[in-house]
Amino acid sequence: MVYAAGIDVGSTQTKAVLVDTARAIVGRALIDTGANLKRAGQRVLDELVAVTKIDAASVKFVVGTGYGRFRIEAGDAQVTEISCHARGAHMLFPGTRTVIDMGGQDTKAIKVSAEGDVLDFCMNDKCAAGTGRFLAGAADVLGLSLDAIGEISLKATKPVRMTSVCTVFVESDILSHLAQNKRVEDILAGVHEAISARTIGLVRRVGMEQEITFTGGVARNIGMVRGLEAKLGAPLNTSAESQFTGALGAALFALDHVLADQCAKAHVSPEPAVWVDE
Amino acid sequence: MPTPAPLTRDFRGTVHGLSRDIMTGWLTRLKEATSNGALSAYIMISGNCVEILRCFDILPVFPEINALQLAIRKNSLPYIIKSEEIGYASDNCAYVKADVGYTLCGGVGAGGNMPKPTMIVCNFVGCNVYIKWFEHCSNMFKVPMVMLDIPFSREQSPSKEDIRYVITQLQELITACENLTGKKFDIDRLRSILRESARAERGWTRCKHLCKNRPAPFDAYFDSINMMGPINALRGTREAADFFDAAVAEYERMVADGIGVLDEERFRIVIEGPPPYPAYRSFRNLFETWRAVAVQSTYSTVGGTWEFGFQHDPDRPLESIAEQMILHNLCNRTMLQRYQQIRSYIEDWSADALVIHSIKSCRLFSAGQGDMREHFTKDLGVPTLMVESDLEDPRYYAEAQMKNRIDAFFEALQYKRIRKEKSDAQKAGS
Repeated sequence: MVYAAGIDVGSTQTKAVLVDTARAIVGRALIDTGANLKRAGQRVLDELVAVTKIDAASVKFVVGTGYGRFRIEAGDAQVTEISCHARGAHMLFPGTRTVIDMGGQDTKAIKVSAEGDVLDFCMNDKCAAGTGRFLAGAADVLGLSLDAIGEISLKATKPVRMTSVCTVFVESDILSHLAQNKRVEDILAGVHEAISARTIGLVRRVGMEQEITFTGGVARNIGMVRGLEAKLGAPLNTSAESQFTGALGAALFALDHVLADQCAKAHVSPEPAVWVDE
Repeated sequence: MPTPAPLTRDFRGTVHGLSRDIMTGWLTRLKEATSNGALSAYIMISGNCVEILRCFDILPVFPEINALQLAIRKNSLPYIIKSEEIGYASDNCAYVKADVGYTLCGGVGAGGNMPKPTMIVCNFVGCNVYIKWFEHCSNMFKVPMVMLDIPFSREQSPSKEDIRYVITQLQELITACENLTGKKFDIDRLRSILRESARAERGWTRCKHLCKNRPAPFDAYFDSINMMGPINALRGTREAADFFDAAVAEYERMVADGIGVLDEERFRIVIEGPPPYPAYRSFRNLFETWRAVAVQSTYSTVGGTWEFGFQHDPDRPLESIAEQMILHNLCNRTMLQRYQQIRSYIEDWSADALVIHSIKSCRLFSAGQGDMREHFTKDLGVPTLMVESDLEDPRYYAEAQMKNRIDAFFEALQYKRIRKEKSDAQKAGS
């Protein structure tokens, strides 16, 4: 038996997925990224091999994705997470035409073809406003765990209005609401609503088309799912694999190479040319 | 698999070398002016009237070029911060902040070896911020400023009143130059200068049109920078016209031999917006990695949109200068005219895609680019990538994010192309 693996080195967590030649998910692994991206790539692959109890040599091709994709020593090729999330979301939900990927430092809206190819995408600029980092900042200020805030936000009765989605100003914004005796659940609902509003702007720029699949670590946050659904006026596909969607897409690209699919070569970055100064 | 060893490429071709030589000559003359008393004037690039200064032997100095040279040498940030310290806002034009900061620190020109201007000529073309910039320069150097008020172009051709309005102001500039230099205006000299301008404009136009060939002989965004110096700063001189004749000869030879600027031309793109000068080479490498060549760019037409047929006319000297300032440059035109320009580039230069580089600190250039992206993507079906940083302020440039977007864009283009080839092959086989 041979396998293909995808490794997604994200800003906060590194994910890996193993698929077999029938495109079935054999296993997955998740670790905190930390400061050493190279090590994170190797650690998650070791973990993946350990949890799936396969022979490491049977992993015939590895595709790296995420910001740390070029630092993965075991990576045979690199593909951006934009392509990988599109591909992974398409496999999980073949009717996907729009992907919303919300991670630690990026929020992306991706328009996807019936084949799972990227048709268009929009994402936040260098500033991480309106991404998972904003939610993490809000959780920190309120002394809550990131996993808990989505559920709490659903209990809101009068959501507050946040003045921005800036990860720097979130603290003073929340403190100001606390000073006005606002309830924590109302504040958190405001936080989720603010991000939803910003995300909708990205989705509209690529053109919203159903089905919409929500991927990335933040897709596990039920408050965010509900907030986005309310703004979009449409249901979102979510999956237990949400956080692994990028790694899954990378694994599928790796499988293209294993199966010698012609399309595989589309995702091998050509060697870079470097212009030198005088 | 480790990332393949990069190809190293020496960017200096014949044309780059020639450009460097004549631009160095200009800078040398400016340096000499710090001691020989030659007169110089600040003037802006966009739709400029450099020929009038040249007619009086007043050396033109372009604060934008000074600013971009600070950035490309990775030296702009301290001066931007210096300006912010005295109250310039973070979203003010970073060209302005770098130049003002540098001036406040006692320098003129990126190397600190330019003369203090004798006069400031604010040839306002589309950018209100520049008026304030040049007013500050006038104040800092304690020299007179001549303000040219150029009506914004909303029509395909300027009205007679607009032309008359600008000509009257050009005559006022001429009077100011006469008073400054003690020389009488010589219309025949201006005609002779405009003949050289037109010759350079024909050469530059020919170079641009040679990029319609596959492969394109030069990158009309990144390599154009080397030709924008001669066409904007040295226009009206014989050396600039000769430079373009030499460039045409070089590029025609390359086209005849099938030689492109890259070893392989995989994607033909059009780029809108100024480059991120603080990360100029790095930004170029992100496209070259994908063998993407810019076959046209809007930034290269900031000084003039000559490739659509306009040339200065020695038989109508002031009229043609006025027409250039009002209509035949990128910055003084409406967004819809810019759409038409880009559409022509996509269609006539056979481009695969449009890349918009949006500038954080320049609302003149960036306002409306979101709509532009929508128009080209949704209305015209042109794959369009929009990325954002700045032309002068390095704090806005994030290499990893920029690479991510550019790589994803070309991945999608490449994937689409391979699927089409596959489908065409299947059709041919069936």
